[in-house]
Amino acid sequence: MKVIECNQVSKVYGNHHAVDQLSFTIEENKITGLIGRNGAGKTTLLKIIAGYLRKTSGEMNVFSEEPFNNLKVSANMIFVDDQMNFPTALNLGELLKAADSFYENWDMELAKRLFDYFSLNPKQRHDSLSKGMKSTFNMIVGLASRCSLTIFDEPTTGMDVSVRKDFYRALLKDYIAYPRTIILSSHLLNEIEDILEDILLIKDGEKYLHMSVSDVKEYAVGISGEGTIVNQWTKENEILYKKSLGTGSSYVVVKNDFTESMLERAKLAGLKISPVAAEDLCIYLTSKTNGGIDDVFDRS
Amino acid sequence: MSLIEVNYWEIIKKQYFFKLKAYSGVFTSMMVVQIIAFLLSLGGTGGSGGSGSSGFSYTTGYYNGSMIIAFTMMWALITGILITTKAYRNDDFTFVANRGTSNLSNMLFLLTASIIGGTLSMLSGYLLKVFVYLIFEVDMLFDVTHTISTLWLGIIASILYILLFSAIGYLVGVLAQISKSLIIILAAVVIGYPIYASTGTGQRDEPTLFIAITQFYQGESMLSLFALKVILTVTILFFTSLIITNRLEVKQ
Repeated sequence: MKVIECNQVSKVYGNHHAVDQLSFTIEENKITGLIGRNGAGKTTLLKIIAGYLRKTSGEMNVFSEEPFNNLKVSANMIFVDDQMNFPTALNLGELLKAADSFYENWDMELAKRLFDYFSLNPKQRHDSLSKGMKSTFNMIVGLASRCSLTIFDEPTTGMDVSVRKDFYRALLKDYIAYPRTIILSSHLLNEIEDILEDILLIKDGEKYLHMSVSDVKEYAVGISGEGTIVNQWTKENEILYKKSLGTGSSYVVVKNDFTESMLERAKLAGLKISPVAAEDLCIYLTSKTNGGIDDVFDRS
Repeated sequence: MSLIEVNYWEIIKKQYFFKLKAYSGVFTSMMVVQIIAFLLSLGGTGGSGGSGSSGFSYTTGYYNGSMIIAFTMMWALITGILITTKAYRNDDFTFVANRGTSNLSNMLFLLTASIIGGTLSMLSGYLLKVFVYLIFEVDMLFDVTHTISTLWLGIIASILYILLFSAIGYLVGVLAQISKSLIIILAAVVIGYPIYASTGTGQRDEPTLFIAITQFYQGESMLSLFALKVILTVTILFFTSLIITNRLEVKQ
């Protein structure tokens, strides 16, 4: 079953296209990572899916319904981000009870156990929590609500490394016990790539890639060696990133169109072939110039 | 995971009870407002004095809860605006909601707040008289309204007035969501019109429009007709708010 069907969806603010002609589908019970640079349109896209924002054009279906202002989508979806609003009059314990009354699949026991584990105080108020604690509490609400569609938009803002690791593990464990569709947007792809199945990479509001994590890892190869030889080997390929390593050698990331035998021959020619990590690839794919920040300082 | 089917009214009910707890600060502010009004009313809301030729003098004072009701009306106006502000509005959408359920539960909340506010402000008028009798040196205390039926009448009328103001506030808050400049224009009209009207000469020397509007409600001596007018107005105000918000984006 397709949980999200997005067809040519655009969101325009003035003459800025926050989301531009985006099409993709997300299948049921998959964990998808939404990756993109700052301002790529990740949050706008997620808010359209959540039914908070009205799309400008295109067709968006969540659970086969138009999500905007849709009560059914709202009941089966939870949107967790660092700007989650909670009434200031209620303390954390009361907020959990309120969430319990709204979400039918709410698991109070899990919420309580996570609550204790992260040593939150039920008498505390949400607005008095630190940034990381807020994110932790929001994450607990997101997990315990067990919504068919769970959206985490930058859920780890302010969390320290150990809490982040605990969160990823908690997410994975709960997902295995209660499979559901999860979208996770994050800047820290190397931290989450182990729990992701698919990656949806967007750039300037447009879809760039949508494939499984294992495919992303094989999408490109890094070739390093003598500059002239590298250039000769890569002139047919799409160059994604280029860096000179000094003394005439260079490192080039190209789209992996090579066959096994070609790679073997390249190795014999003295080139070093290395895999490209998913996070690095995403950076290369979404950067505006091939040389990255180095180009800014390279005035020659 | 199977999808949950939702019942529209069930969600409204949940949100309503959620709001009674979450918006409890509204009731705290009501108590503060009523206490201030109560203390101000202890000075009397009007009075006169005089002395006779044979050496006696008298003073009279009127003590009633009208100031408390007026203050509560202002409180209702502000509460109506307050619950449409971003912080309150977005609370709904953290949990299950759409614009319709959010609005309807807000309206139910305002109705509840008006009932509580109206009843308390009317009853505190009686408390005021008792207070005046106990702490001031009073020789004679006349109570004009004394029957249960007039008490009920007073309570219902207060509730209706307060509800009317909360509905006005709600619409103002909704208009502010479309554009902040609308509110400036609205404020300019409300404040500017009487000034404009009173600076003229002849027939334009008083804000006749405002007087006519006030008379429309205040001039009604029959409770049932008054109630009908208020309920109709409130319905129109709330309905307009519903229509407007349904066109807006849910959460920025």
